[in-house]
Amino acid sequence: MAARTTVPFGPQHPVLPEPIQLKITYEDEKVVEVVPAIGYGHRGIEKACELNEYTKNIYLCERICGICSYIHSVSVVEVTEKLWPVELPPRVKYLRTIWAEMSRTHSHLLWLGLLADAFGFESMFLQFWRIRERVLDLLEMTTGQRVIQSVNVVGGVRRDISPEQKKTCIETLNTVRKESEALIKVLTKDYTVKSRTIGKGVLTKEQALQLGCAGPTLRGSGVREDARLTKYDAYGELNYEPVVEEAGDSYARALVRARELFQAIDLQLEALAKLPEGEIAVRVRGNPPANEDVMRTEAPRGELFYYAKGNGTRNLERLKVRTPTFANIPSLLVMLPGCELADVPVIVLSIDPCISCTER
Amino acid sequence: MMENLKAITKDELLNEGEKLLTGGAKFITAVCRDLGEQLEVTYFFSLKGGTEMYPLRYTVNKEEEVPSFSQITLATVLIENEMKEMFGLKVKDLALDFGGHLLLAQDSPVTPLLKTTGKTASKGGD
Amino acid sequence: MPWMLPTILKNFFGGPATRLYPAEVREPFEHARGQVSFNEDKCTLCGTCVRRCPAEALSQDKEKNELVFYPARCIICEVCADICPRKAIDLIYKWRLPFYTKPVEVYKPRGKESGKAEKEAAATREPALNN
Repeated sequence: MAARTTVPFGPQHPVLPEPIQLKITYEDEKVVEVVPAIGYGHRGIEKACELNEYTKNIYLCERICGICSYIHSVSVVEVTEKLWPVELPPRVKYLRTIWAEMSRTHSHLLWLGLLADAFGFESMFLQFWRIRERVLDLLEMTTGQRVIQSVNVVGGVRRDISPEQKKTCIETLNTVRKESEALIKVLTKDYTVKSRTIGKGVLTKEQALQLGCAGPTLRGSGVREDARLTKYDAYGELNYEPVVEEAGDSYARALVRARELFQAIDLQLEALAKLPEGEIAVRVRGNPPANEDVMRTEAPRGELFYYAKGNGTRNLERLKVRTPTFANIPSLLVMLPGCELADVPVIVLSIDPCISCTER
Repeated sequence: MMENLKAITKDELLNEGEKLLTGGAKFITAVCRDLGEQLEVTYFFSLKGGTEMYPLRYTVNKEEEVPSFSQITLATVLIENEMKEMFGLKVKDLALDFGGHLLLAQDSPVTPLLKTTGKTASKGGD
Repeated sequence: MPWMLPTILKNFFGGPATRLYPAEVREPFEHARGQVSFNEDKCTLCGTCVRRCPAEALSQDKEKNELVFYPARCIICEVCADICPRKAIDLIYKWRLPFYTKPVEVYKPRGKESGKAEKEAAATREPALNN
């Protein structure tokens, strides 16, 4: 019998900018056991949300994650709106959809770059991030800030997209699509990329459902599930069908994200074309009533789940956040055993881990 | 989305949950809430591509032991550990027990999400 | 590598993608959130911004007639600028430069003394949003 070695992967590791530790037991070069350890970035945001006024929660929840900050603010705002419930003007729904898809575009471009970096293709990493900069510029132009947009309030949004901005958005998005197409071709056809990702970290359809995975990790295993199918915001009126890949390996998850990138651009263009006129905010009176509700939105990394209960005061009784990575970490326990030492970074990255999200 | 909410007892949880899982449902998360003397735990399951949701809810006294759903699926391991350390919910037979140090460190506050702990927000950033 | 070739050639003959930053600065977008500034002449120290600031970056002292602003805590959400009933808080598009020590800015509002500003503001007052 070969000797067993336990090696800590993280909390500081070149492939992950965020702290997670995986205690990996190897037998020669093969992984036999994985134990995750999180807790390096816990900030107690759920408790702080109970002590804050509900209007201040928006700015706090936005800071749960740096990349999907927009979806977090949409979720916390909409779960609070559902307590009354508030009827939103159609323009608000479309604006929120456009910005959500914009943040998905930049998140997927970021992830594709990180994947390239994880197997050592650093020039592609920078090329993806160069395209991402254009999307961030669009966000800054329309919302006022690049990363933390702070554009949602309970009952509406704080900024509008003017006709000139709309024109710039359409032009830039077409450029982004053209530039990404050239790079995605490298990702899908290059020998290096294929040999590093195909067949690595296979997750079958049954396992994915059993482990409660979310987002591209789930859809990469052939499950047609997406929170956008619940038709929140304007998704019910847009031409939307979830992207599903059957293989269940790291390559399939990369393909799901690559195809979602173009889908997100299409959704933005469609929503911009259909953007209805009207109010961008309605006035909401009083405090959240003592109801409870949940909101499920599709963040770039997977399904985001918010539970809120009001109690008639300015503070919420309980706010629970379940982030996509929290659901995806158990899948690592199944994917990693059996793989080679050198494939661990690629497989860990293929679920797009966001640890500060997970720990809140 | 709470219209399918089903009230159960803590002993029915494993049976009811397994029935949902064999019907193709997916576990989303569990939410724990402090009711004063009791704790209210809700397990959320999604069905039909995420368009339908089935919450199962039980209420227990704070000292009572509750079964762990992680015997059936590993998906609930993290959230049950979290409820255990954040609310002091006594979950027994966890498939992977972090011993109260999943999110909290050794000198952290104990059961911080209970209503009785920490009533004032502290001012940060300076 | 052949699939990467068009990108490589484009980058080889195209110009640089970056700017010579300190020498060449991109103009910020209109209405980009840079920083907030306070107008002492308009402010009446009503305290709305102090109560609504999510980051607790503002505090007031009615006895000393002071509004204290802690820029290091400010998250530039500009809730204060949106809800100010006297429109005494403005947004500046340019970023604040990095600082070595955390500054504390003290303002002495004079809005109450000049009743003119108050009347003017009341005439143009818009209902604030729910932030």
